[in-house]
Amino acid sequence: MKTKVTLTALMIALACSLPFSARANRDGFNDVVKTIEQFYHVKHQNIPFLARAGMKAARTVARVKGGELKRLAEAGSIRVAFFEDQNFDSRGQIASFKSSVQNSLGSDWSALVQTLSPKDEEQTHIFIREAGQKFHVLVIEIERRDATVVQATVRPDVLAQLLKDPGEMGKSITDEATTTDP
Amino acid sequence: MKTLFRTFLGTAPILLLLAFGGAVNSHAQSAKLQLDQLDALANRASNTVDIKLDEHLIQITTKWLGKDPDEKEIKDLLTKLKGIYVKSFDFDKENEYSPAEIESVTSQLRSGGWNKIVGIISKKEGENVDVYVMQLGDQISGLAVLCVNPKELTVVNIVGPIDLDKLSQLEGSFGVPDLELVKPKTKKDKEN
Repeated sequence: MKTKVTLTALMIALACSLPFSARANRDGFNDVVKTIEQFYHVKHQNIPFLARAGMKAARTVARVKGGELKRLAEAGSIRVAFFEDQNFDSRGQIASFKSSVQNSLGSDWSALVQTLSPKDEEQTHIFIREAGQKFHVLVIEIERRDATVVQATVRPDVLAQLLKDPGEMGKSITDEATTTDP
Repeated sequence: MKTLFRTFLGTAPILLLLAFGGAVNSHAQSAKLQLDQLDALANRASNTVDIKLDEHLIQITTKWLGKDPDEKEIKDLLTKLKGIYVKSFDFDKENEYSPAEIESVTSQLRSGGWNKIVGIISKKEGENVDVYVMQLGDQISGLAVLCVNPKELTVVNIVGPIDLDKLSQLEGSFGVPDLELVKPKTKKDKEN
């Protein structure tokens, strides 16, 4: 009887912990890319166009407001997914896309900035989560025909500078991730 | 074991009361407004901005700001804050949202310890701006700015103690829009 009770308790504990661990292991980047594909019926390019063209991505420097010229993302930390020349039509439901993105991410991601312009089909979503001593920044930029998803790891001092102007943050990160070396 | 169980049963009502009382108390004193219900307006708005800077992000910012003298004042202002939340909607045409849709916000401001300040106005022409504060004793524990115009709706919610005289320092930074809020000069100010 005692063994049965212990076993049942163990099974309940396991069942309760599984959804949490699965949620904790969610990969925000891939989840968001999938959400965009499902909502807009589009496909992302695995190999970025810029990389195909033999150009080095993510090597530019960006000027941080109030700071010196320096790189924002930690070396080798940038992940980029491109959606090129496809139709991004929210069908008047841009607000529900926003909540779909939010739901696809685990609770460890915090929404920082979301800007929407339904008429122009332009949106920017920025999410942040802790990554040890550093932070992951996830930037989603969608326009009528193109979209970019960028995830980068940044140091806390860089994040602090970026937070001074959250509106410009997405542009700075995306520019760094997608602009080629001069 | 039996003694432990009996002791627990004896203290359970007190513990429950304490837990319930604490939850009610913290809810009543929270200066954080529930604004998510406004999100549906995004489908009709020509532009929507939604910014959430929670306590953790503010702490990171304050930890790493302050080397520059200009940043020091902002750092001092931010240090005690627990959150900055902004929702702003621009509309192409007038009256694309109804008063009922902002009732969920105004009803929170009518109750829960919020008081409207009459002394602060916006220098921007045509702006209909209302400023509310929540006070805990002598200290301001939260601020809400409601900008309601026929083609615009902006809600700014700052949680935590804030010096109203220094509020303008935050305008244009950390997602706080530039509302050009000013305190009209008093007789005393004019004399000085």
